[in-house]
Amino acid sequence: MKKFLNKPEDFVDEMLEGIYRAHPEVTYAADDLRCYVTANPVPGKVGIVTGGGSGHLPTFLGFVGKNMLDGCGVGGVFQSPSADQLAEVTRYVDQGAGVLYLYGNYTGDIMNFDMAGELVELDDIETVSVTGNDDVASSVVGEEHKRRGVAGIFFLYKAAGAAAAKMLPLADVARITEKAKARTRTMGVALSACIVPEVGKPGFEIGADEMEIGMGIHGEPGISRKTLAPADDVVDEMMERIFAETDYAEGDEVAILMNGLGGTPKEELYILFRRVAQLMDEKKVTVRHVWLGEFATSMEMAGFSISVLHLDDELEPLIATAADTPFFSYFGK
Amino acid sequence: MQSLDAKTLPGLFERFAARFVAERDALIALDGKVGDSDLGLTMSKAFVAARDKVVGEFADADISTQLKQAGGAISKAAPSTMGTLMATGFLRGGKALADAERLDAAGLGAFWRAYADGVAMRGKAKLGDKTVLDVLDPIAAAYEAQAAAGAELEAAGATAAQAAADALEATKDLVAQHGKAAAFQEKSRGIQDAGGTVAWMLADELAIFLKTAAS
Repeated sequence: MKKFLNKPEDFVDEMLEGIYRAHPEVTYAADDLRCYVTANPVPGKVGIVTGGGSGHLPTFLGFVGKNMLDGCGVGGVFQSPSADQLAEVTRYVDQGAGVLYLYGNYTGDIMNFDMAGELVELDDIETVSVTGNDDVASSVVGEEHKRRGVAGIFFLYKAAGAAAAKMLPLADVARITEKAKARTRTMGVALSACIVPEVGKPGFEIGADEMEIGMGIHGEPGISRKTLAPADDVVDEMMERIFAETDYAEGDEVAILMNGLGGTPKEELYILFRRVAQLMDEKKVTVRHVWLGEFATSMEMAGFSISVLHLDDELEPLIATAADTPFFSYFGK
Repeated sequence: MQSLDAKTLPGLFERFAARFVAERDALIALDGKVGDSDLGLTMSKAFVAARDKVVGEFADADISTQLKQAGGAISKAAPSTMGTLMATGFLRGGKALADAERLDAAGLGAFWRAYADGVAMRGKAKLGDKTVLDVLDPIAAAYEAQAAAGAELEAAGATAAQAAADALEATKDLVAQHGKAAAFQEKSRGIQDAGGTVAWMLADELAIFLKTAAS
């Protein structure tokens, strides 16, 4: 393992100490570094709380900020935050309008968010949960409830955050988020493994000339492992899976998220996006918004994912809304 | 005695705390056979926290609130799997008794049924998986049957405690399917379930509490 660390067991808390020092617009609740919240809650607004394991920056905490999220329970590397931490974040974030729980579809996170929701019922705080499940590779059509949440949750954060910023009530924010969820698909591919600091060695072996299509952001096995192909061929194979279960008509609009998994440079992401745009052009689908960079990583894993949100008249202005967080700034269109 | 009121309920949490503090090392040893030995620590922490909450801040609250606040305190004090399951049980059980002014056998049936259902849902366990559920379900069934027969609290408690003891004994014949114990599979046979032991202790203390309250 070759990482900049002091002690592996301090990885998460020292990362948080650095983030709080760098970004005074975020702070923590309940004297617990892992109860990450905005320093500027908006009175009367529906709160949005996310959470999950560390090791994916900017996901999850990176999207707490203006017109996006209000709080985040921070777990150990690839581990869920506790129900109690999530409840503390919820109590801080709630402004009387209720709280949306928006997080990835993973068993441990579901258990703790559900538990947190029951705990804050004691404080008369209403919560509604939406779980991201955009990873096409993680289960077949018809079994979408088993799919993992990966980078595409960014679009859900964006839509939910903008809807809440318009001061819509909790039921509307949840409905819009569910709609964005139903219209978001992601495919990923990995070239190398990541190393959990406290483990100290790669989570799996992969040959120098191999790629794994469909691998999860914790190194969960994908659909197929094969010899690395030219960039255009890789994109074609991934987009084929997304096109197979979407119905983009001529003139429809999409937002695209080209996400690096941590070890793949932007140069390569642009080479890959070039091909995604060509395929959309062939279908006469308008690429209305593009974000490219690191959004949901797996520490030093090389690889990338493509997320596509099928826009409609309600979602487009929300996706186009300006946002400002320590990890993501967008001035709007 | 057919029912008791909310004012007596903190006494039950005094009993739970004392029992789990006393059994701490025994539970650590039992859990150590197939688990990670933390059960005695988490359960004593959990029920001391529940007692402090109910005997302190919520001694004058209604039955439902006392039970739910105990669940909240357990969740905070013991964020382990078993702690979360017990917290869920008290939260759900307390919710089932919303507006109850007195606690009778039917109320205890509703409490334990909601407790068992909550644990099954959150733990994704089913009967026969060698979990706490294999003892919780017979406790609920015993209170439900006793209520249907019009039994007094003392008799209902004694019957439920015996049902829990029998069910715990029967977990020895089961093979673990969940948690760290699942890795032991066949080796878990012959050992009583650690989580089930916790459920039996709860039913046993409840029976003693009901007997004491009646006298």
